[in-house]
Amino acid sequence: MSLAAPDGTDVRALIPDVPAGDGPDGEKAWRHRHLLDVDVLTWPEIELVLRTADSMREVLARPIARVPALRGATVTILFYEASTRTRVSFELAAKALSADVVNIAAVSSSVAKGESLIDTVRTIEALGASTLVMRHPVSGAPYLAAEHFGGSVINAGDGWHAHPTQALLDLATMRAHLPGGSVAGRKVVILGDVLHSRVARSNLWTLTAAGADVWLCGPATLLRGFEAWAAASAAAGRRFTVTSDVRAAMRDADVVMALRIQRERMEGGLLPSLREYAARFGLTRERLGLARTGALVMHPGPMNEGVEIAPDVASGPGSVIADQVSAGVAIRMALLYLLAGARGSGGSA
Amino acid sequence: MSALAAEVARVGEVGEVVVDLEISRAWLVDPSSGREGPGELVVTDGVIDAVNWLSGDEADGVDDRGIIVAPGFVDLHAHFREPGDEDAETIASGLAAAAHGGFTTVCLMPNTTPALGEPSVLGRVRAAAAASGSPVEVMAYGAVSAGRAGETLAALGELADAGVVGFSDDGLPVRSATLLRSALAYAGMLGLPVVDHPEDASQTDGAEANEGLVATVLGLRGWPSSAEASAVARDLAILADVRADVPGARLHLTHLSTAPALELVRAAKAAGLPVTCDVTPHHLALTDAWLAGWRRFAWDEPWRPGATVEASLYETSVRVNPPLRSVADAAACRAALEDGTADAIATDHAPHTSVAKDVEFGLASNGISGIETALGLLLAAVDAGELSLGRALAALTIGPSRVLGFRPPTVPRGLVEGAPADLVVFDRSDSWTVTAESLASKGKNSPLVGRALPGRVLLTVAGGRLAYNAS
Repeated sequence: MSLAAPDGTDVRALIPDVPAGDGPDGEKAWRHRHLLDVDVLTWPEIELVLRTADSMREVLARPIARVPALRGATVTILFYEASTRTRVSFELAAKALSADVVNIAAVSSSVAKGESLIDTVRTIEALGASTLVMRHPVSGAPYLAAEHFGGSVINAGDGWHAHPTQALLDLATMRAHLPGGSVAGRKVVILGDVLHSRVARSNLWTLTAAGADVWLCGPATLLRGFEAWAAASAAAGRRFTVTSDVRAAMRDADVVMALRIQRERMEGGLLPSLREYAARFGLTRERLGLARTGALVMHPGPMNEGVEIAPDVASGPGSVIADQVSAGVAIRMALLYLLAGARGSGGSA
Repeated sequence: MSALAAEVARVGEVGEVVVDLEISRAWLVDPSSGREGPGELVVTDGVIDAVNWLSGDEADGVDDRGIIVAPGFVDLHAHFREPGDEDAETIASGLAAAAHGGFTTVCLMPNTTPALGEPSVLGRVRAAAAASGSPVEVMAYGAVSAGRAGETLAALGELADAGVVGFSDDGLPVRSATLLRSALAYAGMLGLPVVDHPEDASQTDGAEANEGLVATVLGLRGWPSSAEASAVARDLAILADVRADVPGARLHLTHLSTAPALELVRAAKAAGLPVTCDVTPHHLALTDAWLAGWRRFAWDEPWRPGATVEASLYETSVRVNPPLRSVADAAACRAALEDGTADAIATDHAPHTSVAKDVEFGLASNGISGIETALGLLLAAVDAGELSLGRALAALTIGPSRVLGFRPPTVPRGLVEGAPADLVVFDRSDSWTVTAESLASKGKNSPLVGRALPGRVLLTVAGGRLAYNAS
């Protein structure tokens, strides 16, 4: 994988402020070949992604929003779950770096006598892909793929486990809109179905690394196990609060992120009804009034307006939901670019 | 060691009667008499000719950290997959694995295809065992329910007449409490135990990992401890009722994995209920942190979220039913062995093909290929001071023999002069590395592959015949 444009110029020169390879202390600025979750990223690495994404935003603002960083490379987007926004976001990011993009919509099943994930991944590699962007309903599936893929694997969401690019774009969005440009010490509330949320889990890692005051709030049935995580995490110096008291959570919040509630949760006996959820935990204007003036409102999408978030809040003055979507393209460009660099210099997982 | 190797060289070939074997200056462990110490053992024409306990100067330099001689192990719980899934294991490959692990008697679970629900299937199992040439004794459970469907009783009486040692729907619990009640009464009339896999399936639908910190962090569907405890509580309540009418009713609970379930059995035993139970080597030595890539034993440093780990996350070789549990649960399994709450160690040897295991974690089959690594895991616990050698060996020999009660192994477990030689010789001072090649089982699905385990089995003799010879 060459980062040089066909005319020989180093693409890094086209993108301002991206460290060229090694850091001042001789450490690799970016050493990861895959991005499976954000739990393995150090804070300097997270900052590097965000800085690189800032540069990518400048690229995206140009009249011709395209650089040749990944020209000749193929990015394969393999989704075992339906998705529009994440898939399109990766596709736009890869194309803005001049990569060829292959989209595969697949079905996963233990009973269907289909091709195994390992075979699929090996086939994709044999067809020449250097990066595999993967979404899968089974937690951990990208780890299996990474063991059998010679290039880079980016986890675009696995089961309940992780959604690392979402967490990074959420952090970028918060930094872009919070006064002072930092989330350190800011109260960030993640509200809703935490138990089944890969977005919540990945955000826990990045936000605690950033020094935010993280609160997880939702019905007790959808927070199960997180109190124990909070206790274990506090021992390691990463603190967060778990509560079903929505007023306590909302009070003086700087950021409120509502999570999608799925109808399956009632079928599974975890919630009495969506109506009751909306009444007790929905992000309404009244509840948002407990937060700081100008608090940011976020949602990873897709939204059930009127359930976990009221329409007037979703489109209200503090809402940065659309900004999350646009930040996503830059973050994914940054990661495609950094992972390609790590492959070129023999990076590790 | 070298002297022993020379002695071992004269024992003949696997399957043949051991004509002449002298083991000098080893540590003999005889759980049947509760005696262990330095000694010598002579086997002539397949029979233990002499057991000489050494003392004074003769015993100098012999301790329990070198060559150990013990009665052959009895496994109450193994899956050899034949008939039906011979790609995963056959009776022959399973018996070779058993002998490599030091086991001279195995009790096979009936969840084959077809299930062992009628005598003809037992006939096939016995024919395959005879054809293998292995001297390891094969015993088998019959199914509790017809076709293991959990609805009507299997041919319990016919199976008993054919020689099964008990009844189990293992792989599944006996879901219907009413059917369990009937099975305990009917099997009790026949003098045989019902072996239940205690799991309240309504709590474990779709479950992937022990409910707890690891499952929460890894985003895996929780498999609650209460699913085991509530099933055990149900089983014990039914047993107490049935026993009033059928004094011979007996319940054996297999692969208990949680502290609350073991506590229930402890209390039931104290109340005099005819219940026995076993624990597995993997549940007492490993924890759910292995799913997160952690590779320390249960008694070593615990995993924390974000800890740097040695292995890949979500390895399917650690996916097992019941799941690997918490540090406290593993400690409870060891404590239950020490105080006798757990009667036996059973391997739940569950070989699988790579097709069943080389898939996403949530889609992988449950089970660990464990009959060859059982001794090593137990010795690791013994080395760490977490289990006594005597209790471990008792729970591999006389413990399971007593559970079988009415139909014990043909050769009683003990180092007794005049009895057929049925023993294992292993070297605690040596270790071996678990690899796909070093496992005789066709199931390579062990999380211990690549790891060195203490205690190399040198020799296994079953019913007077050679079952395994390392040299």
